[in-house]
Amino acid sequence: MSTLIKAQGVTKYFGSKLALSNVSFEINTGPPVALVGPNGAGKTTLFSLLCGYAFPSSGELKIMHQQPGNAHLFGKLSALPQDAQLDPGFSIIHQLTFYAQLQGFSKSQAKQESDRVLELVGLSNAVNQRPNDLSHGMRKRAIIAQALIGSPQIVLLDEATAGLDPVHAREVRELISTLSNQATFILSSHDLSELERLCGQILHLDQGKLTEHNALSQSTSNQHFVTLRLAQKYKDVEKKLFALAGVRNVHNSQAKEYVIEYEKSVEAFDIQLLQYCHQQGWQYQQLVNGNTLENQIFHKEH
Amino acid sequence: MQLHAKRLVNIALFELVRLFLTKRGLLAVAVLSICWLIVLRYAIGEAVNLLSSPDIAGFIDQIFGAIGLSKLLTWPEAELAVYWLIALYSFPIFCLFLCADQTVGDRQRGTLRFLSLRATRAEIILGRFIGQLLILIVLLSITLVATLAMLTYREPSLFFAGSSRSLVLLGYLVVAVMPYIALMSFINTFSRSARLAFIVAILFFVGGKIIVGLLAWTIPALEVLNYIFPGYQVADMAAQDAGLMLAVGLPLIQTMILLIFAERMFARSSL
Repeated sequence: MSTLIKAQGVTKYFGSKLALSNVSFEINTGPPVALVGPNGAGKTTLFSLLCGYAFPSSGELKIMHQQPGNAHLFGKLSALPQDAQLDPGFSIIHQLTFYAQLQGFSKSQAKQESDRVLELVGLSNAVNQRPNDLSHGMRKRAIIAQALIGSPQIVLLDEATAGLDPVHAREVRELISTLSNQATFILSSHDLSELERLCGQILHLDQGKLTEHNALSQSTSNQHFVTLRLAQKYKDVEKKLFALAGVRNVHNSQAKEYVIEYEKSVEAFDIQLLQYCHQQGWQYQQLVNGNTLENQIFHKEH
Repeated sequence: MQLHAKRLVNIALFELVRLFLTKRGLLAVAVLSICWLIVLRYAIGEAVNLLSSPDIAGFIDQIFGAIGLSKLLTWPEAELAVYWLIALYSFPIFCLFLCADQTVGDRQRGTLRFLSLRATRAEIILGRFIGQLLILIVLLSITLVATLAMLTYREPSLFFAGSSRSLVLLGYLVVAVMPYIALMSFINTFSRSARLAFIVAILFFVGGKIIVGLLAWTIPALEVLNYIFPGYQVADMAAQDAGLMLAVGLPLIQTMILLIFAERMFARSSL
């Protein structure tokens, strides 16, 4: 496992506004990394610094031992920048072919490569369309396609599935999942369940500060918690769950959802819990082994 | 500064293709074609009749002599003489309009973000500059060929002499427009739109010349500041009085300095 990205004390000001404050982290090759945080937390700023679109006010940022934007990173780092649009004057195949040529493909190879990535995102039938002739979701998929040209080692996707319909959002998630053994993806999204499903590591930004940097698997493999989501509201659920043997705490995290902390010594607590639900006549929707990412972040912020 | 020849060529050719594949490019070609059709039919055509008329030859001699253009009257290819005057003054203005959106539109739209992951900023600036230059070479060539066709239609024996003079004129015109393109490359690095870039360029020429004029009036030595303005040598070139250093050296130096400024500015700006 090699270090792909190393940030040390990265700070970024926009005028007098502090966007990132003394952020340090390391990202190694491996499963996708989630970048989470509320609006204005500094996620897009961090993406911009990683891509070399903007420069840190102080601190050091290295990607594969190079400064962001260095020519050695061309073709190795790709990105879906937020709000960036393709040129409306040219067809998407023309633009992607041009990008592939810049990455070193010959003209015929570049055309083949563009066809390949457009097929990956389900746009084979729209290759000759100009961006303005496409729907928002199709434009987004075309931009995702440009990030997949060649064999990038790092792919940064800022809000990749925002604005996509559920079918295509799922396809993009599956695509990321499939390609995640070939490249290290760094994803930002407000869909925490999506990140939870895809990612193995989490970077949590809040007000420009990196407040958490750990492996997602560590958080979710915590056997002291289960998260129970019921189909509807029932009476005294919190009280009844708390009365169960081995339960240390019950928290009504949101409507119909309960985070249950229990003694580690209790064996097969999840089985007992489901049996108890059955006895009580409670229909459950979901039982999560651990605390959901959403609850972890929400509790950290409040 | 990192420059890779193949990427430079790719970026430049992409811009050249923009002229023939996009509505904006085709519109520019259409506007230029219509303008030059009128110029060729009325301005050049009629002017040549006047220049070659023995009745008013003395009068024309006096006028051209007074404004320092008498050398042009010695050209047997009268069409090219009139073309030279019109092109030398009109192409720089057209160039400011045509090259107003080199990077600013793509920066505002975010398209440069895709490009900057595959090409250095120096390559983007220089590649786009070369692309615009190629476009202007194509457009200048088209107008020159049309003028040459008119010349040959009037006097077929002048075709070969006209062709070689056309090539020389093309070379001088290309060098003359280079600093204008480079100026727009530079303004594009801080402007927020193509329209604003065009306005800034006009302000630079009008406001800048007034300021330099006032400074030179106070301290005559500051007249040297006029050399910062692209096109300073055009009046001398029109009269065929400019030496090689003034006609070629000055615009090339201006172009180089403006491109260095543009690259430095672009390298420091956020995309």
